Amino acid sequence: MGAILSRVLGRLWGEKEVRILILGLDGAGKTTILYRLQIGEVVTTIPTIGFNVETVTYKNIKFQVWDLGGQTSIRPYWRCYYANTDAVIYVVDSVDRDRMSTSKEELHAMLDEEELRDAALLVFANKQDMVGAMSAAEVSDALGLGTLKNRQWSIYKTSAVKGDGLTEGLDWLVNIIKGNEQ
Amino acid sequence: MYTLLSGLHEYLTRREEFYVIILGLDNAGKTTLLERIKSIFLGVVGLSPDRIAPTVGLNIGKIDINRARLNFWDLGGQRDLHGIWEKYYSECHAIVFVVDSTDKERIEECKEVFEKIITNDEVEGVPILMLANKQDLPNSLKVEEIKEIFNKIALKLGARDSRVLPISALEGTGVREAVDWLFVRLQRNKQNRPPTFK
Repeated sequence: MGAILSRVLGRLWGEKEVRILILGLDGAGKTTILYRLQIGEVVTTIPTIGFNVETVTYKNIKFQVWDLGGQTSIRPYWRCYYANTDAVIYVVDSVDRDRMSTSKEELHAMLDEEELRDAALLVFANKQDMVGAMSAAEVSDALGLGTLKNRQWSIYKTSAVKGDGLTEGLDWLVNIIKGNEQ
Repeated sequence: MYTLLSGLHEYLTRREEFYVIILGLDNAGKTTLLERIKSIFLGVVGLSPDRIAPTVGLNIGKIDINRARLNFWDLGGQRDLHGIWEKYYSECHAIVFVVDSTDKERIEECKEVFEKIITNDEVEGVPILMLANKQDLPNSLKVEEIKEIFNKIALKLGARDSRVLPISALEGTGVREAVDWLFVRLQRNKQNRPPTFK
């Protein structure tokens, strides 16, 4: 009863909680992005073992953002968090050309999961502040985004440490989420 | 018996699915068109045009006409994203090419891009609808003028249905007619590009 009531009230006040996962290989910058979004600052991070979860309010939408560790050994656990996910933010280190194919494999394995069938995909081509970073077109090609036919996707060049590109990406997500509500 | 009946039921209730790609230069109004199509056919509000940012990826819109579903793929128009378009060619049933009728400076570029699309083998025979968008603006080229410009490459269209129609995605004029045109051509081209079924 309480849950229903709070849902109704949430609707009335236009506050909706949206569940977002931030995924990507280790060292892509997921945790830096999470805290950049939440407190607007760059924090010193250590490799995430397990997860970080924070609530970020943006344009009247409450995002519950899960940042899951990206190391090989813990990637199999990502799937435990897939249920009820509205969107996935997939973070790529745009300088790390060697691991682009691994990143692609992990991305597609994730998107094949039934529970993420309706989730929108936002890709952050991160670390654009570094020399030699791949462009958005190059990253989308390397990740095979052109093979996605039944999922809305978008890619943004970002620099988590400088804060570039993140809000543009979130704006896109907000539009998608508001569009799906109708 | 059950198999027969359920098979029959499936046959009777199956739905044709068509895929239409929306292409054109950046700022032509592709996403505004998609949102307008959604608002006309689904009765939803749709994104207001001032909230639409340049697309860098794929937006999807689905509408149902009669018993068929039309899926629209709206792809980003910036030059370095054109490589992505081709990934959607083999599975599309029609192409909508949106032209910014007020942008006379880029009309040559527009022509070049259009030519590249229509000469691609993967979309041979696929119906193409060119939309002269932004007709609500006073300085826009009229359909006749657009036709005149593109006539030189019209020969390369080959054997396929094609048409140029005026629209204002912003105001919604001509959008319904455009989708109606598409629907008829999708049906007519079924032998060449059969729909998928869901």
